[in-house]
Amino acid sequence: MRVVIMGCGRVGAAVATRLAEEGHAVTVLDTNAFAFHRLPSGFTGTCVTGSGTDDRILEEAGVRRADAFIALASGDNRNILAAQKAKHMFGVRIAVSRVKDPLRSELFARLGLRTFSPTKVGAELAYDALFQG
Amino acid sequence: MYIIVVGGGIVGYGLGLELQAMPGHEVTIVERDGGRAAQLREELGEMVVHGDGTEAAFLDTVGCGRADLLIAVTADDGANLVACQVAMHWFNVKRAIARVNDPRNEELFHRLGVDSTISASRAVLAQIEATLPEHTVVPLLRLEGSNLRVVDLRLQGDAPAAGVAIKDLTLPRGTLISLIIRTDGSPQVPSGDSVLHVGDEVIAVIPDDAEEAMRVLITGHPSADGHG
Repeated sequence: MRVVIMGCGRVGAAVATRLAEEGHAVTVLDTNAFAFHRLPSGFTGTCVTGSGTDDRILEEAGVRRADAFIALASGDNRNILAAQKAKHMFGVRIAVSRVKDPLRSELFARLGLRTFSPTKVGAELAYDALFQG
Repeated sequence: MYIIVVGGGIVGYGLGLELQAMPGHEVTIVERDGGRAAQLREELGEMVVHGDGTEAAFLDTVGCGRADLLIAVTADDGANLVACQVAMHWFNVKRAIARVNDPRNEELFHRLGVDSTISASRAVLAQIEATLPEHTVVPLLRLEGSNLRVVDLRLQGDAPAAGVAIKDLTLPRGTLISLIIRTDGSPQVPSGDSVLHVGDEVIAVIPDDAEEAMRVLITGHPSADGHG
């Protein structure tokens, strides 16, 4: 499938790399072109420098033809804005967003985004690690 | 009425001053930056609180559950949208108004149920347009829930409508000329026999797709970029 990923940090780069290796058509967005250094040398996807909340950049990234959009920038609100824009303005079927704040994550899951909260997941992992074995 | 204002920048500060002066309202201004919040507190007092107005847990502490209205006016469209959605869908606040910094975000906000949006850049553009002789269709008001808008036009010398009675004009479908302000400043409710003169200001209700036709009729010039 065609996937647009907003944010080429550690998580964004890892997801982009994995999806590209699996044969998906991946486009990665980041406001800082230096971030693309995190991608491996044989990366088959496309890189676009600019903000994923900017309509023009989203168009350039081919969001209209995308099957999925994944928001992995640093700010919760920016991720939510971009993911809702992809879903409601550009008709992207699957809109995933990282939302650190657990309550906001829960709310926007109710409102149609596929959200996950690294804070909540991290807390659960820390707890599980304590009692393992 | 209990009103929560998210964002204590210039717009939030101005709004706080206005609302404070109106009797019968309880107002809380939420500002994320601690320094700015302290500074605002010196001027506006107890109504200013330091915190993140997009965080449900924090909004709960300022009584968002009993708020009648939330107005989000930060410089960040993401924060404004999220603050409104959290208020509406987490706390069941009936009305939420957002400032839209990038006019291209306006439609998304509407689709997501944010009742009204204030676009500062659009308002500034309208002001600038009003001072330019070439661009003479100034949007004044959008009628919510319809495809109609109220616009202000000034009749130019080479316009097809100059010197013609309203009943003899071929107006775009659905258009209503509501008011004529003559060059001496006197307002006149037009009849079919009213003749438009160069320099008259015309207030009209027009459908969205009639702007260009009205522009040509009243000003004699198409817009520079072809669509206003």
